[in-house]
Amino acid sequence: MTERPLTDRLDETVDAIVARRDATDALRDPELAPLARIAADLRHYPSPEFKASLRAQLERRASMTAVTTAIRQGFTTVTPYIRVREAGLVDFLAQVFDARETFSGRGSGGGMHREVRVGDSMVIIGEGDAGGGGVMPIRPVAFHVFVNDADATFERAIAAGATPLGEPADRAYGERSGFVADPFGNHWYIATPLGRESVAGALRTVTPVLHVKGAAAYVEFLKRALGAIEEMRHDEGGQLRYARLRIGDGAIELGEGEPMPGSFLLYVGDPDALYQQALAAGATSLMPPTDQPYGRIGGVEDALGNQWFFSRPVTTSS
Amino acid sequence: MTQTTEDDRLLIEAAQADPARFVGIYERYVDRIYAFVRRRTENRAAAEDITSQVFEQALGAIGRFEWRGAPVVAWLFRIASNALADHWRERARDAQVTPPDVPDPGELEDIDRRIALYQHVEQLPELQRQVIQMRFVEEKSIREVATALDRSEGAVKQLQLRALESLRKSMGGHD
Repeated sequence: MTERPLTDRLDETVDAIVARRDATDALRDPELAPLARIAADLRHYPSPEFKASLRAQLERRASMTAVTTAIRQGFTTVTPYIRVREAGLVDFLAQVFDARETFSGRGSGGGMHREVRVGDSMVIIGEGDAGGGGVMPIRPVAFHVFVNDADATFERAIAAGATPLGEPADRAYGERSGFVADPFGNHWYIATPLGRESVAGALRTVTPVLHVKGAAAYVEFLKRALGAIEEMRHDEGGQLRYARLRIGDGAIELGEGEPMPGSFLLYVGDPDALYQQALAAGATSLMPPTDQPYGRIGGVEDALGNQWFFSRPVTTSS
Repeated sequence: MTQTTEDDRLLIEAAQADPARFVGIYERYVDRIYAFVRRRTENRAAAEDITSQVFEQALGAIGRFEWRGAPVVAWLFRIASNALADHWRERARDAQVTPPDVPDPGELEDIDRRIALYQHVEQLPELQRQVIQMRFVEEKSIREVATALDRSEGAVKQLQLRALESLRKSMGGHD
């Protein structure tokens, strides 16, 4: 019997390896065996296109991160802006989460502007009817917040006047968490990681949570409008249930649910460019970028009512 | 492939001072992380997705990372291990999923051997490299590769054989 050429035997072996079929016959062929071993290792050869594309993606995000770090120390790219009609939210956050007010001042519209640190995260609170430059509605926002002891924090929240939305329980997604609404209606999903597999490692103390209708399409919008990067997603029944997105060095979570839109401040190097990018992706203008005493700022609203303000402050602060 | 802790320290300091320098950490470790993840995932797309998550998370956390002398790659392996656990938990909602262990010395050696092989692929003559990429990454058939390169199937099989023989020699195999 004439032996078939090595080129053909090798090719059949490569076909089997790539298709994950049994290729062990090749190991009995002394001429073929060493080549088959090399071929088996090549099955996991990383795609050069993938590596180049991930590198470019990291470079884009790193440049955004660098800009935010240089612009406002202590802040990440995304800072939630909570509008409330009257004072009291800072006290609630201090009582429940040991939050600390780092800045307060009267805004141009006459309302109070407060910056509050919760763990390693910042939130901005605008108080009074005239806060937020008159364009941000007073409405509750939802947050995922990591603490050392979810049960104790949940109890403190109830004692501070919060309404329970869900008693603390071990959740299948790797955390023990209880849910409350503060006296202003904001939702706080108070969580303690259960083991190493929790998402906590990827998040800061406080992460805004957007409940939206049509979450999958909205994720695509955020990618186009804000350069968001999808870090994690969970689909169920053909529908996106949960996603975690990076925007610069900040993060948001979102999921399908009763809409609960919010307002967010993005510290960026070029607010005009991001404003234009968001408009091109389908957002509508709330205020074109203009120079204000505190810096340059512009803002858009997306189709689901979330507001995104792009700001480059004139001075840095810590 | 020896990584010195001094190199790691410089890479971390550079990335903390300027996140744009994070790409140095990426370039140095992407192949190792990908190799670790690829063995624990069902397909190439899942491995690429998880590898992306690992470096995205590492970039997000670089400002808070406290370097205590352990190799940076150990930190990346831990992130990868948790991301793999998330991945498998999503596929088995009710099952208990324990994050896989970070690689033992035997697996590290195996990973390093593969990375050396992949570096040799990059040194192959361009046509041979293209054949390897199309066959193993894009999983094209010989016929598809022949069409893409405008060569006969026989010629592509020859290129494939020469590429694999050359890689075997580069990896210390004998004629």
